[in-house]
Amino acid sequence: MKLTGANTGIVLDSTADFPQAPQRFPNWRVVPLYVRFGAESYRDYVELTPHDFYERLRTSTELPTTSQPTPADFLATYEDLAVYDRVYSLHISGDLSGTYGSATTAAEELGGDKVRTIDTGTASAAVAMLGLAIQRRLDRGTTDEEVAELFARYEQNAHLIFTVDTLEYLRRGGRIGRAAAWAGNLLQVKPMLTIKREVIPLKRVRGNRNAIQFFVEEFTAKSANRRSLRVGIAHAEAPDRARQLEKMVRGERPQAQIELVTDLGAVVGTHAGPGTVGFFWFDDEE
Amino acid sequence: MSDLDHVRDLADAALASLEASRRRIDDLNVYPVPDGDTGTNLTLTGRAIVDALRESTASDRETLAREVTRAALMGARGNSGVIFSQIVRGAAEVLGQTETVDDDVLARAFRAASDAAYRGVRQPVEGTMLSAIRALAEEAERQPADPWPALVRAGDEAVARTRQQLDVLRAAGVVDAGAAGLLEIVRGIAAAVTGQEIAEPAELGEPLTVEAIHQELSRYRYCTAFVVEGHGLDADALEQQLDLLGDSLLVVGDESALKVHVHTDDPGAALSLGTAVGIIERIEIANMHEQTHEREDRLLHAVPDLPATAVVAVVAGEGNRKLFESFGAVVVEGGQSMNPSVGELAERVAAGRANAVIVLPNNSNVVAAAENAAEHAGVEAHVLPTRSIQEGLSAMVVFDPTRSADENVADMQGALSAVATGEVTTASRDAQLNGLSIRAGDYLGLADGSPVATGPDFDEVAAAVTERLLAEPRGVLTLLTGEEAPQLEALLARLGQQHPDLEVDVQQGGQPHYPLLLSAE
Repeated sequence: MKLTGANTGIVLDSTADFPQAPQRFPNWRVVPLYVRFGAESYRDYVELTPHDFYERLRTSTELPTTSQPTPADFLATYEDLAVYDRVYSLHISGDLSGTYGSATTAAEELGGDKVRTIDTGTASAAVAMLGLAIQRRLDRGTTDEEVAELFARYEQNAHLIFTVDTLEYLRRGGRIGRAAAWAGNLLQVKPMLTIKREVIPLKRVRGNRNAIQFFVEEFTAKSANRRSLRVGIAHAEAPDRARQLEKMVRGERPQAQIELVTDLGAVVGTHAGPGTVGFFWFDDEE
Repeated sequence: MSDLDHVRDLADAALASLEASRRRIDDLNVYPVPDGDTGTNLTLTGRAIVDALRESTASDRETLAREVTRAALMGARGNSGVIFSQIVRGAAEVLGQTETVDDDVLARAFRAASDAAYRGVRQPVEGTMLSAIRALAEEAERQPADPWPALVRAGDEAVARTRQQLDVLRAAGVVDAGAAGLLEIVRGIAAAVTGQEIAEPAELGEPLTVEAIHQELSRYRYCTAFVVEGHGLDADALEQQLDLLGDSLLVVGDESALKVHVHTDDPGAALSLGTAVGIIERIEIANMHEQTHEREDRLLHAVPDLPATAVVAVVAGEGNRKLFESFGAVVVEGGQSMNPSVGELAERVAAGRANAVIVLPNNSNVVAAAENAAEHAGVEAHVLPTRSIQEGLSAMVVFDPTRSADENVADMQGALSAVATGEVTTASRDAQLNGLSIRAGDYLGLADGSPVATGPDFDEVAAAVTERLLAEPRGVLTLLTGEEAPQLEALLARLGQQHPDLEVDVQQGGQPHYPLLLSAE
């Protein structure tokens, strides 16, 4: 089957931090996760913007929790895409969230093999960027096989580095993984982390300046200055750090295309905390 | 003693020897699949022979030999058990036909055992039980004066060689489990024949490493074994059919009974091939993936997961101690004018409970003692000659206990090259240094070991030091306050104005002699 933007839909969950996707592409949908402060529950982005969330986080005495969309939420979205022959449903790592499980349950409920759910093994803008790579192929016409090849290459070659101001949010939310050994040190230290299905510690550095330096070193060592190099940046109330990274990319890899610069939404923010900066890159050679 | 009683004694001794080493042999098992059951399989096979002998009433050698052969075949478990049953068959064929066992008969029995073992395996691989039984046959054919001790010695050497013969064994740092099991059987028989206690097993190479259990799993899930009984059974035909289903295939026996062992994803299909030609019994199907996981669990508990690297740091001040400990260092109290003894340091280094230890002296006066201690600690120890608490802390930030000492030392050196350190102390006497007139009791500021300012006003001296440290662009300034903690408000206000982007981390260090230690990175 030839897949195009006219017959293929793309579904993200809100942790991809790409809320404007449906405005940019008529064939895209975003299914929100839920954020809870006490008894109140909000749909990520829809009922709670990142700005309001971080404001609330600062002032609230209660700590937020998150929950995945229900299979019914996904089912409604898949049904909304009834006119499409194929749907790619791309989700945050199944080791970090039950979202992929919900999506898969919904796809099975729907029956047939129209909906293909993918556990991307990663998070945030990295997931959105996989969607964009698929969309580029849809725009010129593609096949399931080509999408599968793309995903295999993406799993190998897409890079993600993020840093948090404190590991406390990851620890509290149970997402700290192997970085647990790094929690509890008394100096102000920036942990440099990645996600490979779960959170993996890379290196500890002192201060934001040295953190940016680490981004530079990793990025330049693992990328080439090409037009096919795609970059995404996501931040939690840290626009200055995001701008620093943008400037760094334009200096080091002027040909690269910065596809997304986005806030980290309430759900990812609940688990990473304010000050978090994520940096993603993928050389999408076609 | 009747032949039956004699054979019972030998079998009992072989089984006892095997059972004593069963668990150790299980843990060696990485080939052909790391299912960790070679010792158990050989023991169960041995037990089947012992049980059959207990019920036997055989009065002639030929009957006895036939019964032992059949018991081994019917009771054979796993690859190793099946090969062992062929070894038994070969030996029994010779021993059942002779009246006495002299050196010549012994040699022929071992050779027949070796030949039968090689015949039973579709693709013989060296570095396994096969190599061991052949080495034993060669030694027996040499007809040494005192055959059994010589055979055990030759077996020992053959087992040790397996590690060089098979890549997977070399990588795991182990000898072949099947060969090791065969040697235990021979060791037990030798002890019974010579009337001696069973000798201690030789070291089987390196202590078992965790890597030994992370070998690749068989592609197939089920270890499937059964016996087919019938008339005119064709082992080759059955083998060809089974070959399509999986690997680790063994089909051995005779026209009336065949033992089948195969690793497959479809045990049902394998059993159907058996029922097509005869009656199947003694069916055993084991999920090898589960066996491997159980063994990993057992081994991970048996081999404590030692961190690759530990750090022993010489530190003064309660707050500093806590900082170092929060990064995982073992702290020895000491520093300027209270150097720890070499013995004390060596003791802590030796107790580092890691594969290697990095020592951070954190003071130029302690470097020599640290080097001495590292040399005499009796463990792999490296000294990173940090000259100050601040340098030591920078090194700790990049420390990762899961990485090797060499990698850590390289990373720590990188961190040291990126840090500038300073101190504010009080002068103990009047002096002229670097063109500075220093008066006893005044503050003295140093940057990277050199005096840069002096005077009675703490803020001025501290400011001069920070300016020197921040001459190059830096991201973080760390301030460790001393036992006599100075007032920092003025200094911090000034830093905030002049370096708005600088992150300042103030910690209560509690060190004596230095009201303030500083580092910029």
